[in-house]
Amino acid sequence: MMGPFPTISEASAQIAARKLSPVELTRHCLDRIATLNPVLHAFIRRTEDRALAEARAAEARVMAGAAKGPLDGIPIAHKDIYNTAGIATTAHSKLLQDHVPAADGTAVRRLAEAGTVMLGKLATHEFAFGGPSFDLPWPPARNPWNTDHFTGGSSSGTGAAVAAGLILGGTGSDTGGSIRGPASFCGIAGIKPTYGLVSRAGIQPLSFSLDHAGPMAWTVEDCAMLLQAMAGHDAADPASADRAVPDFSAKLRQGVRGLRIGVIRHFHEVDVPVADTTRQGIEAALEVWRGLGAEIRDVTLSPLTDYQAVGMVVMLAEAYAVHEPWLKTRFNDYGEIFRDRMALGGMIRAADYVQALRRRRELWAEMKAALDSVDILVTASTSSEAPRIDAALKWVLFTTPNFTFPCNVTGFPALSLCCGFTPAGLPLSLQLIARPFDEATLFRAGHAYEQATPWRGRRPAV
Amino acid sequence: MKTKISEADFAVLAAQTGLRLTDAQRREIHAAYGTIEAMLARIGSERPREAEPALIFRAETE
Repeated sequence: MMGPFPTISEASAQIAARKLSPVELTRHCLDRIATLNPVLHAFIRRTEDRALAEARAAEARVMAGAAKGPLDGIPIAHKDIYNTAGIATTAHSKLLQDHVPAADGTAVRRLAEAGTVMLGKLATHEFAFGGPSFDLPWPPARNPWNTDHFTGGSSSGTGAAVAAGLILGGTGSDTGGSIRGPASFCGIAGIKPTYGLVSRAGIQPLSFSLDHAGPMAWTVEDCAMLLQAMAGHDAADPASADRAVPDFSAKLRQGVRGLRIGVIRHFHEVDVPVADTTRQGIEAALEVWRGLGAEIRDVTLSPLTDYQAVGMVVMLAEAYAVHEPWLKTRFNDYGEIFRDRMALGGMIRAADYVQALRRRRELWAEMKAALDSVDILVTASTSSEAPRIDAALKWVLFTTPNFTFPCNVTGFPALSLCCGFTPAGLPLSLQLIARPFDEATLFRAGHAYEQATPWRGRRPAV
Repeated sequence: MKTKISEADFAVLAAQTGLRLTDAQRREIHAAYGTIEAMLARIGSERPREAEPALIFRAETE
């Protein structure tokens, strides 16, 4: 057995060389879950027997020289809004407590076809929006870097489980930052792909035009490997892009010499000034890229508040339409945070929604234009390290614009990665943004940064 | 962000949703509604009449 925290890339190479047993790796993860989940609450349902059966099958394929590919035998888990056939999919809500889908969602199926081993279902904010909540059937996940602190959300269980080494990677969803927020607070990598790249079929919806599915893992390289299996056209998703899937790892080792990086400095220095530690982490990262040969320049977009306004109005209106029947009949069966936030969606007029969509097109055009002159954009992922989980977070999304909403509004791909730690040992992060369907350039820049810095060598001591 | 709409007018808006809110719930949501008012003001409505929304219907694929 290798060290306690193998990455997907490392484990994949070891499995292919028959130096690591998928069964042994799966047992290792299950042991860590048994020990740490009572503290972290990252899993709300474990599927040990199925996992071991899948691991044994993967091992047999490897030994027979018939491995399915680089993800064969890799232990992962799914956010509990991803439908899993025969296994409850609850959205962390009382309303779906007994919901057992008949079929896997497309992304779940594709990851299974790639040979991954599913260890169970992961905590989320209720219906991927309301949290952290303490009035749901399961407690909220805890941050493994300090369990008094928030994981971020809504892919909270995935963030905690990956950071703590309970799984090597997992799935998340992102409507306003629900992959990148927990990736940021838990010190891992997470990508919200281009809208349409990964099918949302079989994933509980929040907001149809803003919802994205994507992977979370310890490294950028691991995210590229997972995304490779998840991406691709799916007729079951009306927004799915019918285009060839590129090799997301193709540019991984090209370095960043000549890459043009635009910094949306006003987002994190003027519109919503970030903590000094976060600002310093971003500046240090820019120096790393500059030292590796990238060109750095500032870029100006509309204020962050404009993106937030559009994103929130669209999300609330669309989500309210999804939940209205239950909101009218089972209002108090939802957790307080979800239901109170959702109630605001019922008060948005149709004309307000359409005006938000008209402004959305303008914002999309300006971000597209900005990316005509640079290859990627950089800003913060979150405004600081993770706050305490008991901080009053119910209305923060409404009062303070977040840095992740712009790419849900535009649909452009965005990657969050760790860029250091506070003196107290909590992770810091930044966000990279690229042109639509140019995830490979995000991975290229992110991998170069991870290779040049020591942050991937540090794990939580939980 | 202080809410501009009065509690009485907001009660009418809330009633139109059909949601069964307690008085305490309605008061808290009214207080939060000021953030929505600010967002709607930020989005505005002053743009060319022909400005299309971001989502359109494509007849050949729907």
